[in-house]
Amino acid sequence: MSPCCCYAIWVRLYRRTFAKLGVLAGAGALVLPGCTGSPPARSDAAQLSPAERVMFERFAEVYIPTEGTNLKPLSEVPYLDNIDRVLVFLDAPTLDEVHTGLKLFDYGSVVIGLHFTRFSNLHAEDRLDYIRKWDDGGETQRAIVGLIKKLVAIGYWQDVEAARRVGYQGPVSDEAKILSLGNAPMPVVVAIANESP
Amino acid sequence: MTEPSPNTVPALPVLSIRQPEDIPARGLKLEADAVVIGSGASGGVAAYELSLSGAKVIVLEAGPYVKSEQFTERLVESFQTLYEDGGNQANKSGDLVVLQGACIGGSTVVNAAVCFRAPDKVLESWGENHGLDNLTPETMTPYFDRVEKNLHIHPNGPHEINLNGRLIAEGAKKVGIPAGPASRNIKHCALTGHCIAGCKTDRKQSMLVTYLPWASELGATILSGTRAESFEVRNGRITQVNAIATEANGSSKLVEIKAGLVIIAAGAVQTPLLFQKSAIGNSSGLIGHNFACHPSTAMIAEHRDDIYASLGSTITTYAGNIEDPKEGSYLIEAGSMDPMSITTASGGGIGLEYTDFIQENKKLLTSVTLIHDHNVGRVYMENGRKRIDYDLDDRDFPSLQEVLRATSKIYFAAGAKRVFLPTTRRTVIESADQVDSVINSLENGKHRYKLVSYHPQGTMRMGKDPKKSVVGPDGRMHDLDNVYVIDASLFPTTLLVNPQETVYAMASYLSDRMLARG
Repeated sequence: MSPCCCYAIWVRLYRRTFAKLGVLAGAGALVLPGCTGSPPARSDAAQLSPAERVMFERFAEVYIPTEGTNLKPLSEVPYLDNIDRVLVFLDAPTLDEVHTGLKLFDYGSVVIGLHFTRFSNLHAEDRLDYIRKWDDGGETQRAIVGLIKKLVAIGYWQDVEAARRVGYQGPVSDEAKILSLGNAPMPVVVAIANESP
Repeated sequence: MTEPSPNTVPALPVLSIRQPEDIPARGLKLEADAVVIGSGASGGVAAYELSLSGAKVIVLEAGPYVKSEQFTERLVESFQTLYEDGGNQANKSGDLVVLQGACIGGSTVVNAAVCFRAPDKVLESWGENHGLDNLTPETMTPYFDRVEKNLHIHPNGPHEINLNGRLIAEGAKKVGIPAGPASRNIKHCALTGHCIAGCKTDRKQSMLVTYLPWASELGATILSGTRAESFEVRNGRITQVNAIATEANGSSKLVEIKAGLVIIAAGAVQTPLLFQKSAIGNSSGLIGHNFACHPSTAMIAEHRDDIYASLGSTITTYAGNIEDPKEGSYLIEAGSMDPMSITTASGGGIGLEYTDFIQENKKLLTSVTLIHDHNVGRVYMENGRKRIDYDLDDRDFPSLQEVLRATSKIYFAAGAKRVFLPTTRRTVIESADQVDSVINSLENGKHRYKLVSYHPQGTMRMGKDPKKSVVGPDGRMHDLDNVYVIDASLFPTTLLVNPQETVYAMASYLSDRMLARG
């Protein structure tokens, strides 16, 4: 895709985003976006497009650079599939907003920093710089980059072995064969003398 | 009921749940003395106490029945199976997650088990400002006593307080902030730290293992996966509740319930929506208004030594002046967190600064904070979507600054090397003498802080004046003669402390009022 085409897409998306700021900002919830009243359209189909998967890969590489650390290598954690499973729980309108936000972020580098190419094509240092610009940007930018960071963190850290590498014990009751206490016995009834209305 | 003889071991009560798959395709028509909508902290208590009186009770729970043996101790999976909207319920701006349980037992299944009595000063202010002079500390004390006994509520013992909790309590005392062991509704805690993913071994005395099995044992019918959708009203009374039971495969069935008494216990988000959908009970125009939620943050600090904060009880100690909201506006609770929560809730940064931060996970001091916020929000439906219109008010921002300041000072007094603020961009305080200048430089704004709420309250305000409140002092709606609201939506102001024990006690008190009325 040419830089001009990218720019046109980004401007269109950015205008659309600001037109419904409150709605898209909803895509920045802590765990996941949304404040829905309708049930999620649960489906086994992939939620992330191939381009979005690449964008998340490029993002994760600089957000959680595991090479040379004690962390479990990103390449050994199915974080993209984990993100996909998380998105399954969104309703269709919210998922649309997430896709819009991801496009806005990916194509925004054409304009922001004048890179003239998508975020996914940037070198690592430029990607880090770009993420920091969004961290310091306007409300919508902070919402979108916050969402992407959350999704990557959720995708990576829900891997039990990754969490155990940094000292978190993870699930323990089954392994330790801790017995259940079961339901509590019926209580002893104590009447309360109360004269108030 | 009398104490069992020491020579006999009574059988434990059994929880029988009627799931959507158990309902015939043609649906169900049921009749009862009372229908309780919601099976969480208040619904569970009311279901048991009314059943104990001999009433025929039906409980409707929109969420699924998940047995504790099915809990996985994996937080993301728990969000997806046990929480409202899969853990995605958020404010309209999208920068504050509102976590609520949505399963048999409601939020009691997934909370951190922390219990406080409502501060006397808060109850007294409700009397002075909202005409609730029936809810005096003297009136409520026996109800707090009752639920504390039934739910095994007790202060954490020394074995339930890990190094993280001890250091935070000691640090608080060094800087002059009251601190002590947190109380929890736990029996023989196994110290796994997985409260918010559901207690797999039934140590937490949630509704799932206490009041609901007790109600069930006394004959209450409990339906899971069955969401109350609308009401039929005649002569100022709800005569029928219409609900939809939805199977896992998506097929749904109509459940119609006629009951003399309708008890609403769906929580501060769902309860107002129920009445808004049916457009009833709202002569005051206040249904859904006055939402508040104890905005919370995670506060993280790096210590010199290995702390292993995630090992042990989920919440161990607390700090803050919680006796009087005029004196203190915040509460700090030392608690465990997994790396995902630490990452998503704190400003650990990106790239190498982040990996350096998270690799020191064993050295991290971790706590959760909350503030006593104003009732500035509103819950409503918009184009078929639930909306929680709530942003951190400028009047509450100083309280947020104050709790971040207090926690930072506690951490440095406890030996921390640096403190990470819960900002969306990385903000680190490197020494105690930087605390004031960094905190003072913070500004309020959307998506600047990583906020979460565990305690939605206030959308069905209780009060004496029908023009200024939705529900009367006895829990009965001003506009609907046979309808009681008993959940945290009643609270005219926030409590400053975790609300679950007050919800239990209030539900017990209001159940007595219902029974006294006959």
